[in-house]
Formats: sequence, structure tokens, C-alpha cells
Amino acid sequence: MAYLPMRLLSIVIVMLFLIVCQDPAKARDWTEILAAARGQTVYFNGWGGSEVINRYISWAAEQAGQRYGVTVKHVKVADIGDVVSRILAEKSGGRTSGGSVDLMWINGENFHAMKNNGLLLPSYTQLFPNYPLVDTENKVSTLFDFTVPVDNQESPWGMAQLVFLYDSEIVTDPPADMRELLQFSQNNKGRFTYPAPPDFYGTTFIKQALLELTTDRELLYTPVNSARFEAVTAPLWEFLDSLHPHLWRSGKAHPKSAPEMKRLLADREIFISLSFNPAEASNAIATGELPPSIRTYVHDGGTIGNTHFLAIPFNSSAAEGAMVVANFLLSPEAQARKSDPAIWGDPTVLALAKLSPEQRSLFEAIPLGAATLNPEELGAVLLEPHASWVAAIEKEWQSRYSK
Amino acid sequence: MPGQRSRLKIFPALALAIFLLPILAGLLFTWAPAFGYLSAAGSTHFSLEPFATLLRHPSLPGALRSTLISGVGASLLSLALALWIAATLYGTRLWSVIELSLAPLLSLPHAAFAIGFTFLIAPSGWLIRAVSPYPSGFTYPPDWITAGDPWAVSLTLTMLFKETPFLLLMIFSGLSRLDVRRTIMIGRSLGYRRLRIWTRLIIPQLYPMLRLPLLAVLAYSLSVVDLAYIIGPSLPPTLAVLIDRWFNAPEISSRLVGAAGSLLLLFVTLACIVSALALEYLISKVGSRKILDGRRQSPFEVLVPTGSLYALVLLAVNLFSLLALILWSVAHSWRFPHFFPTRFSLTNWSTPLRQLLEPLSVSALAALLSCLLAIILVVGCFENEQNLARTRIASISQRSLWIIYLPLLIPQISFLFGIQVVLVIFHLDGTWPALVWVHLVFVLPYVFLTLANAYRSYDQRYSYVGMTLCGGPLRTLFRIKLIMLAKPILFSMAVGFGVSIAQYLPTLYVGAGRFATITTETVSIASGSDRRVMAVYALTQLLLALTGFLTAIVLPAAMFRKRKAMQN
Repeated sequence: MAYLPMRLLSIVIVMLFLIVCQDPAKARDWTEILAAARGQTVYFNGWGGSEVINRYISWAAEQAGQRYGVTVKHVKVADIGDVVSRILAEKSGGRTSGGSVDLMWINGENFHAMKNNGLLLPSYTQLFPNYPLVDTENKVSTLFDFTVPVDNQESPWGMAQLVFLYDSEIVTDPPADMRELLQFSQNNKGRFTYPAPPDFYGTTFIKQALLELTTDRELLYTPVNSARFEAVTAPLWEFLDSLHPHLWRSGKAHPKSAPEMKRLLADREIFISLSFNPAEASNAIATGELPPSIRTYVHDGGTIGNTHFLAIPFNSSAAEGAMVVANFLLSPEAQARKSDPAIWGDPTVLALAKLSPEQRSLFEAIPLGAATLNPEELGAVLLEPHASWVAAIEKEWQSRYSK
Repeated sequence: MPGQRSRLKIFPALALAIFLLPILAGLLFTWAPAFGYLSAAGSTHFSLEPFATLLRHPSLPGALRSTLISGVGASLLSLALALWIAATLYGTRLWSVIELSLAPLLSLPHAAFAIGFTFLIAPSGWLIRAVSPYPSGFTYPPDWITAGDPWAVSLTLTMLFKETPFLLLMIFSGLSRLDVRRTIMIGRSLGYRRLRIWTRLIIPQLYPMLRLPLLAVLAYSLSVVDLAYIIGPSLPPTLAVLIDRWFNAPEISSRLVGAAGSLLLLFVTLACIVSALALEYLISKVGSRKILDGRRQSPFEVLVPTGSLYALVLLAVNLFSLLALILWSVAHSWRFPHFFPTRFSLTNWSTPLRQLLEPLSVSALAALLSCLLAIILVVGCFENEQNLARTRIASISQRSLWIIYLPLLIPQISFLFGIQVVLVIFHLDGTWPALVWVHLVFVLPYVFLTLANAYRSYDQRYSYVGMTLCGGPLRTLFRIKLIMLAKPILFSMAVGFGVSIAQYLPTLYVGAGRFATITTETVSIASGSDRRVMAVYALTQLLLALTGFLTAIVLPAAMFRKRKAMQN
């Protein structure tokens, strides 16, 4: 029992430390954060639908344990909304510390809602040693998540851009914009579809159509304007009205998600699918999920792009550990591994120009994959409309097509 | 033995406490947001706005329609068809085949079956592949609406095929309490044909034992979320899916609408239950007059062969859904129109096997603990019941025991959000006791249901003999009664084990992300695209549930190896 006093002492030290560090967001030295993180267990909550991504996270968890003494537990969920609900229940139950979620994978509307309801830790990413490497200049969505200022309340993790996947064995000349997509659907009845909103991908497809078709794009970047909603979205509904009869199942049923569309593409039910990951096709070919004939294309004039983030809830019980993990996931090493299509193929948020030559070579060594477009081919990135448009568009969509 | 009686009294009281308090609290804390109260979202005043938003929602009428079609349709059809199978096949060889297949049928998880069944009936699925490209001429799958149709037919069929085995199990256990063989003999000697014997003599005795299972199936079918996601309609989805989405939506305020929706679903479920009871009353009123009309024949007698047809379809659909899953789990690529995978691979199994070790052990432990607790409580309740019956004292706690069925009759989604808040307040979320308790809430009623008939028809005279020979009621219980009842007890525990393994929403809401079970992992992987990995997870889930049933079959066989009379 000789170790007991030592143990007590260490508990007292830890307690004192916790009292001192009550507000992890206060400007603090990174070495202090590293010290506090050691021994913590970080519950990382995120969508767990992809073995490829799950494998990458378990690699990162291993690294975090070896390098920083942080245990990472990956909590796989079918829908991150469940996790938002849980944090909300914790807030309702008065739990302002000792929460069950330490790090979560979110962006867009979920971030917007969590930020507005005070469910996130105040700004902290500015403390990360790797944060200065983020390409905030060219990748504006790392600062504005669906136009909502990030304010250092979530750490950029990966880039996304809407791309279309097609079977090059069947489709020789993929559509170059929404009008051509409509033509394609008219000529190939039942061979294209999109997920029903509120699925994330369905909503994105509709926003993409809106951005391409509306005459007043600027208005979409301000909070939704109910007075002008009808005029701004009129071309969209006209387009969808003419598209729907030619969709898969004549538009009477929609897939529930983009993953389901990927299955339909593999099953040859549809010829064109969509994804948010430009390297998804290459990755799925590598795993055998999609045939080697699948290729990627984007619309002329650009497609919607955004950033996905890692955020720490306000009541995290291991905020320092979560910061250390998020910072590690921002490191050139972790980011390069993530962008390899053989591993995951998720584009980096870092600016290659800000990296050292050795760090840059990590990225340059990665083969792009036959089905992945290079940055020039990917073309312009369109910014997400203001987050408030989503609810308005979904509502209108439902009253038109989901009765 | 007054001491013994008062000690036994604790069991119904305990069983009720386990259910009543938390569910009431859960309901209340879910209703609060329905009336505008959700402090975390800054909404703290009473309002009916959530209901107004709900009723104005464009998808509501369509969602209600799908919910009613699939919920009411699936439960009434599965009862009718299960009874039809029993009436037309009782005593045949197919009847024994069905009895043997019940364990594997029941251990095939709902979601796994739905994934397999979808692959059977989809236009790019197995049935169409069997005839493509020759002779159908399809080089690409036809653009037909089969799985996920807007009329919820495919969803109804899925639930029909999944619930019929459960009702058959209940019929088997109910029939064991009736003297069917002799009833049939008497009926025949009076000149009654097969169907008349069943409709006039057996079903009237059997139905009271099927009433609760039917209502449980009804409530389940009306509120099921995962099946409706996989094979239900999409425009709009069922009410349960809409509610689930509202509870998950990014806008915090939509949780208020979700809470209002869950209250509506509760109301719909109760209304359906009351209607079912009213229908039963009506049928029994009309039927009791006809029952004595003396007619020996029914015009439907010619339809008797269709019973084996449906039974074969039921078995085949389950078998082929399972086969599809097995093939997918070892496929590398398998595109339309190939009937078999073009490339096989075992790599689908390699990663999950390592990752599934922890979820498997968590699932097994939670299931085992909740089953053990459930069986202790259930046996205690039955013993108390038999004690009371002997002394002819009806107690309030005994009469209110129907409350343990409450979790089966109330949609899960109507009280889980509230339970989560209550657990958070008491710092019990994410703990083992909370997890085991929430599983117990759903395991106990099923253990109760599946054991009731066997336990109640036990011949008490064995116990009296035991008591005169060696004394001690406890000794008699453990040395004679429980051993003689080992088979049904273990089987009901296996059912409970399977129920615990299948719990998704309760584990999610109570577990605080601390417990990854085989089912939470399966559901999260099912939200992805890879059917091969999904198949691996679903099969692992099936294997765990099947282990429970196999134990329940093998253990008594081994125990009674040397006791001939116990081996049937």
C-alpha cells in the first residue's frame, strides 16, 4: 500500500490542475495542453458507415496513444444528429462538464445549430501548432462553414467537393451542367436520381441546381429572404418539375442517401451517381465496391465545395485530449495519409505551399488514381449558400414532392 | 407459509417498479418539448406551436397513410397467416419443419432480413438476375418499383415475413397448453372438417394467448424505424422515420416537432390497439352465435393446400435472404446481371473480425445479464401468481402486471429521448446498470410471454410430491420444478437474449456512446454503401443470436441425456 500516498498526491495535483485549467479555451501554452491530455480518453463521435474511414480513424487512434498518451475511442454512429441530440439532452439535464462527447465530426447546419445554442467549446483551434498550415487563404470554407464564421470553434479536417460518378462503359459523354443532365435523363429514363432531402447529399444536389439556375446568386449568400424566396428559387422548381418524371422510379421513390446511390450505380440501376469526395471513385474501385469503369466528372462553372470539421462540445470531459487529437489529424503526416485514395482519399485542408519540402513530398508521392480528377479538372469551387437556405428549400421541396 | 408469500410479493412490485417509473418519466420528459419546453434550446414557455407545425407538415398525411397500411396490414396479415398455417398444417411433416426452423428464423435480425429481402426483390436483385439477361432480355435492371414502393407494400411484406415466425412461436407455445390432439379427435368424431375444428374449437381457446403478442406486433410495426429506412417508402417515409429525422435534424427546434410527432405516434398506436380490441369483441360477438350453428364444413376447406404454399414461401424467402447475405459477405464484385459473384474474397471478414470482438462481448454480456435478471423476475412473478391462486387472494400488484407489457405497446421513440434526459440528471447514462436495465425493459416482456404457457401448465402435483418427500419449497423449486421446466425456461431466455442483442435505439439513447454493441456497429455500417461489409456484420449478429438458441436446445439435451421422459 506504499503507493497510496503517491496516488493521493497525484490525484490532488490533477484536481488542482483541473481547477486551474477550468477554461481550456483560455490562451494557454500548447505544452500545458499536451501535459493535461496525457492519460485522457477521448470519445470521438462520427459517422461510422465506411470501413475505409473507420480503419483510418483506428490508425489515428493508435498514433495518438503512442505519441501523446491519449486513448481515442471511436464511437460510430449512423447519423451525427443522434450525437447532437445527446449533447442537447446533457445540457437539458444540467451537465455542463463531464459530457460524453469529446470530439465530433460535423459541418454545415449541425455546426450552425450547435454554435447558436452554445453547445460548442469557445475558440481553441488558434492554439494548435498545425493550424497555421491550413490553407485559409484559398480554401475559404475552412473559415466560413456554410458561410457561418467558424471562429476557431471547429478544426478543419478535410475538403469536399460535389462530383458526379458515371459508368464510362455506358455513358460516353457525361453532362456538363444541369441542363445537359436533364437532357441525359430524358434520353436515359430512370438512370439518374438523387437522395431525398433532408439527406445531406440530396440537399447539396438541389443547392447545386439552384446555384446553376438562379439569376440572383448573391442573395443565396445572405440569410434566407422569405420575400424573395419564390422569385429566386422559381427556376429551380421548374427544373425539378421537368426532371422528376425522368428520374429513377419516375421520381416516385428516391434513394435515402448517397451510399445507397453508390450501390445502385454498382448494381447498374443508375448510370450517374454523386459524391462529396473527389477520390471516392478511385477508392471504391480499389476496394472492389465499384467496377473499374467508373469515372468522375464535374459541371462546367464549378460545383459546391465545403470543409468538414472536428468540433469539441462545450461540456467535453477531455477537451485537452480532443485538441491534441484534432491537432494530430491536422498534421501533414495524418493529412497526407488521409488523402491517399488507397486509404481514404479525402482531400487535405492544408496549403502545400506552407509545408516543408519533406512534408510536401508526402503529398506528392500519392498517386491520384485513374478515376480521380486533378485539381485543374475539378475546376472552380462554389461556396455553400447560407445555412439558413437549407431549411427553407427542404420545406418547399417536401411540400412539392413528398406528400 | 405467510413468510414465503410476502417474500414473493416483492417480485411483481419489483417488476412494476422497473417499468412504470422510468417509462412514465421518459414519456413526461419527451412530452415537455412537445408542448414547447426545451430549456437547452432556449424554449421555456408552454405552446402548442410544435403540434401546429406537425399538423401543417406536408408529409404528414402520406406518412400516416404508409404507417397505417404497413403497421395494421402487417400485423393483421401475419396473425391471419400464422393461424392459417397452424390450421392447415398442424400434425403434418411441414409443421415439424416449421417448428425446427423457428429458432434460426427468430435469430435472423430484422435489419439483416430486410437487407437480404431487398436484394431478393429489387429490380437488380436475385429474382430478376435469375432470368437475366436470358430469357428476360434485361442487360440493365428494369426501372420497376419493387423495394421501397410508395404504397409501403414491400415494407408490409418484410414485416409480415418477419412477424409470422414470432406469432407461430406464440401459437406453438399456446397449443402446448391446449389438448389439441384430443380436441381434433372429438371434432372429427363429430364430423367436423379440419378448418371447422380450428375455427370452432381451437382458435377460440387459443386466441386469448395470442392477444398480447398480436398487440405487441401491432405496436412494433407501427413504430419500426430501421426496417422503414431500409425498405419503406421514401416520399414521404413513415411517421416513425419522420420523427426519427426530426430528433436528428440540425435545427434544434425540430426536436420540438419530433416530440409532438412521437406523441401523435403514441396516440395512433393506442387508437390501433383499441380498434384491434374492438374488432376482436365484434368478431367474438358475431362468432359466438355462429359457433353453435352445427355446420361441419366450411367453403374454405378447398383452400387448405394454400397453407403449405405460404409456409414454403415464408421459409424460402428467409432462406434465400440469408443465402444472399452469405454470398455478399464473401463477394468481391457482384454486379447485375450475374447470378453469382464474379469474384470471391475473404477480406470482407478480416477487418470486422478484429473490430467486432469488443462489440460482441458487450452485446453478449448485456444480453446475458438482462436475461438472467429477467428470468429471476419472471419466475418470481409466476411463483407469486401460483401462490395467490392457491390461496385465492387476488392482489392488486398481480392484476397490474400487464404493465410489464407496456414497453412493447408504447413506441420506443415516444419515451427514449425523455429517458435519456432523466438518466443524464441522475448521472446514470453510459453506465452498465442503465444499459442492462433498458435492455431488461424490453427483454422481460418477451421472456414473460414465451414462458407463460409452459410455466402455467406445469403440473403442480410434482411440486407437492417434492415437498412431501424432501420438504422446502425452495428446494422443490430448484431441484424439481425448474429442472423439469428447463427447456421452456432456456428457450424463453434465448428469445430474450435475441431481443437484447437487437436493441438499437435504447442502446444508443442510454449508452452515451460508451457501449458499442454488435447492433450499433451494424446499424452504423448499414448507413454506408458497402453491402459486403454489411452482410458480414449482419451475419455476425445472427450468429450471436443463434448461439443463444443453440444453447437453449443443446443444454437440455445434454442435461437430460440419461432421462428418457425428458427427451421429447
